[in-house]
Amino acid sequence: MRHEIWLAALTDELRRHGVGPDLAGHVVAEAAGHLRDSGEAPLRAFGPPDTYAAAVADSVGGPALARSVPAGPVRLRAVDITKRYGRRTVLSGVSLTVHAGQVAAVVGANGSGKSTFLGICAGLVGADAGRVELHGTVGYCPQAGGTADFLQAGEHFALIGAGRGVPREAAVRDGARRAAALDWAPGDAQARHLSGGTRQKLNLVLAGLGDPDVLLLDEPYQGFDRGTYLDFWHEVWRWRDAGRAVVVVTHLLNQLDRVDVVLDLSAGSSGVAA
Amino acid sequence: MDVDRRAQWLRGVLDLCVLGLLARGDSYGYELAQSLQATGLGAIQGGTLYPVLLRLQRSGLVTVYWREGGGGPARKYYRISPAGVGVLREASGQWAAFAGGVGAILSERTAR
Repeated sequence: MRHEIWLAALTDELRRHGVGPDLAGHVVAEAAGHLRDSGEAPLRAFGPPDTYAAAVADSVGGPALARSVPAGPVRLRAVDITKRYGRRTVLSGVSLTVHAGQVAAVVGANGSGKSTFLGICAGLVGADAGRVELHGTVGYCPQAGGTADFLQAGEHFALIGAGRGVPREAAVRDGARRAAALDWAPGDAQARHLSGGTRQKLNLVLAGLGDPDVLLLDEPYQGFDRGTYLDFWHEVWRWRDAGRAVVVVTHLLNQLDRVDVVLDLSAGSSGVAA
Repeated sequence: MDVDRRAQWLRGVLDLCVLGLLARGDSYGYELAQSLQATGLGAIQGGTLYPVLLRLQRSGLVTVYWREGGGGPARKYYRISPAGVGVLREASGQWAAFAGGVGAILSERTAR
């Protein structure tokens, strides 16, 4: 790999690993100097860009680990939610409170009611008992579906933007910016022609349009590659730092040390967020 | 020497070796790599060295500054901080005791 290509890839990977632009610039300049001085091939001296970026991120402590702002007012409060499908009780007395500036993860095995719980919070699914309070506007990203087959990405932005009081031009611009953060440049293809992963990017962009106060995300990264998956979590940290309340349904546990609240719906757990 | 074993040993002491070299004078990454190699510690790859330097920087044991190189672009120089000098002093005593212990056992075995 030529130096410039490797260095450009390193720049991208550092961003993906949450290394700020200043430090990333220094790391890249230093690596460039080392390669120039030593005459070594980048892969031999530093290894693959993503591996080296991960080592750098690890050395500087990773992104947004420290709480910079205290949690704000309550944005979502779900109390004693119970849901039955026929004779099967999916959720029994589940409670969750999320404040502005917090990220909550909803975890649990398949069939433990994670999506049902999120749907109840979003007001899309009725509960058999309990209550949900939402304070502010809501963005919801489903696991699949949620896009209109015959509309282009820009038309989705305009449509969802209109629903949230964002003018057409601003919504399209905002959508393109959010798409870029997920390494996606929306073209004029209709949604039905997009890959599954790209449709999920569209869903995620739509959830964030107009900066809703509460974001409810149901495993939104299906079909994402590793890099986009990291981009997704950076969007989550940005939302948190901007004072949003974020709820993420996930079966991947490696991000749990960086969330504020964990609600475990696995059988045998109390169903009350720690 | 067994390359894996050498790499393992180095992992435990590379930060101290870097501090030790910086105690002799300010330096930059590639020069440090060359000095380490010249000492007989073998080739240190950039991918190993720079994360160590970043950790030293983060923990305040070294400070950094950029200086124009001879005709080339600026280089990132590292300077040992007073805290770094303290850590180095303390660790060299501990290392001497540790290496002495290992040496005593190993030489006893080979002397038999």
